[in-house]
Amino acid sequence: MSQKFENLSALIDGEHNDNVSSSSHVLDAVKNDAELQQKWKSYHLIRDGLRKELPVDINFDIADKVAQALESEPVILAPKRTWRDLPLVGKVVPFAKQGGQMAIAASVAVAMIIGVQQLNQSDVNQPFNAAPPIPGIQGGLSPVSFDQTRAIPNSDGVEQRRRINAYLTDHKQQLRFKTMQLNNNETSELEQNIENEEAQSDIVENTPQ
Amino acid sequence: MSLLIVILFPLQSFAQEEPATNDTTSNSYPSDSAQAWLVKMSNAVKSLNYTVSFILLKPGVDSQPYLWRHGVNEDGLEMEQLNLLNGPGREVVRIGNKVSYFEPNVPPYSLQSSIINGPLPSEFFQRPEKLLSGYEFIMVGRSRISGRAAQQIRIISRDKSRFGLNVWLDQETGLLLKMNLIGEDAQLLEQIQVTGLQVTKDPDPFFAKIEPGMLPEVVSFSPRSAINSPWMINYLPKGMAIVKRDLRRLSGSGEVVEYIMLSDGLIDISVYMQERVDNKPQSNLVGTVQTDTLLTIEHGELNVTIIGKLPAATANAIAKSIQRNQ
Repeated sequence: MSQKFENLSALIDGEHNDNVSSSSHVLDAVKNDAELQQKWKSYHLIRDGLRKELPVDINFDIADKVAQALESEPVILAPKRTWRDLPLVGKVVPFAKQGGQMAIAASVAVAMIIGVQQLNQSDVNQPFNAAPPIPGIQGGLSPVSFDQTRAIPNSDGVEQRRRINAYLTDHKQQLRFKTMQLNNNETSELEQNIENEEAQSDIVENTPQ
Repeated sequence: MSLLIVILFPLQSFAQEEPATNDTTSNSYPSDSAQAWLVKMSNAVKSLNYTVSFILLKPGVDSQPYLWRHGVNEDGLEMEQLNLLNGPGREVVRIGNKVSYFEPNVPPYSLQSSIINGPLPSEFFQRPEKLLSGYEFIMVGRSRISGRAAQQIRIISRDKSRFGLNVWLDQETGLLLKMNLIGEDAQLLEQIQVTGLQVTKDPDPFFAKIEPGMLPEVVSFSPRSAINSPWMINYLPKGMAIVKRDLRRLSGSGEVVEYIMLSDGLIDISVYMQERVDNKPQSNLVGTVQTDTLLTIEHGELNVTIIGKLPAATANAIAKSIQRNQ
């Protein structure tokens, strides 16, 4: 347990003098171990603090965001390459022999650039992807609003608007309740027929019991 | 037997409207006349078992898909269901003469009525003969709507005072397939487009699940007392009549207004009259709210507001014709 922390610490401090395969072994361990990842974070922070390189405002969340962005990246089906094969990193490798932490820092920087680019892209695309939801109404009983096409300027516009909305609401209500009036006056004959039938069907239902 | 009466009833009144024909059956019309088609439509709407899906389109509003089912049981009892398919749901069920509303945020209630006054022109379906005095029916031709052969009929007001209507009826059954409300400049104001039509031998199983005893109570309104209004409307479009008149307190503003409903069997218009109080200035406005025209003007001592699916010029003419009764 303490051995792996020590390895990690040594790697970050640039004191991991073993060959490449050993340091990549440590990196693999970091990738698969959440505890080590946490240590990775804090070791870097401690190191930056000791060197008085801490930024003015530290954003601890950026690494997580980068990780998320990388996770959502499609898997590239290509011959497996190590991070040393990346052109930018490749150029840095000579320096890495002097201080491994620079290479690692560079690779994090590359990852961050990719991540930030992705974040930016999705931001730009968003307005086109997602149409703004149409506010309001699924259905007939919509809140009424009045599209004014011609108006004489009026100091008491709010009052009138309120009154107009009251009229519109009442109109809708009247239309619904209108049926009753029509019924009473004109369909009495129909009504009676149906009522008789209802009465009959009641009797039929009741007789067996 | 009484089912037969239900079916024949509109035919009789139809025939009475047309002095040339004294026969009481639809056979008296040439089979391809507009009247014959409307009789066919009216009968089909009332007597067939059908399931219809349709979409209501209005300018500036999201489309509203509906399910509309109708059935007649062994006792001749008409059952009808109208269900708004988007959103939290709004269901209207009619069993015979009882219309029950089930809506979110409102306790369910019933009305005593033989039609559902919803997005469909139910009154037109039930009594197309009421339109004969105010409208002209013109056979246009055949076309294909919703994958079915359809007969198109144009309905235009005789005095050009109201919006026109284009309806497409199913060639086979006579049921509505499409309906366009057309404005003065031939622009489309409102559309009903049927997307699915099924006519079945038996009523949909949905209706068997309804227990009439479980439906909400009928809301009873206190009987309207006749009012002695000093105001009268001197101009009404042809075929239009006053169907309701009372004094009412608006729930939105708490103000008392005189209310008149006008109807011609196709469209319903609300007229509100309020005596002007000096401290309440009001500007003259005309505009449209979805399909409805809203006009509010100062007229003599009155503020008159008219709402309905009619051209602004007609609304203005009605409002300006209001006079104090001598």
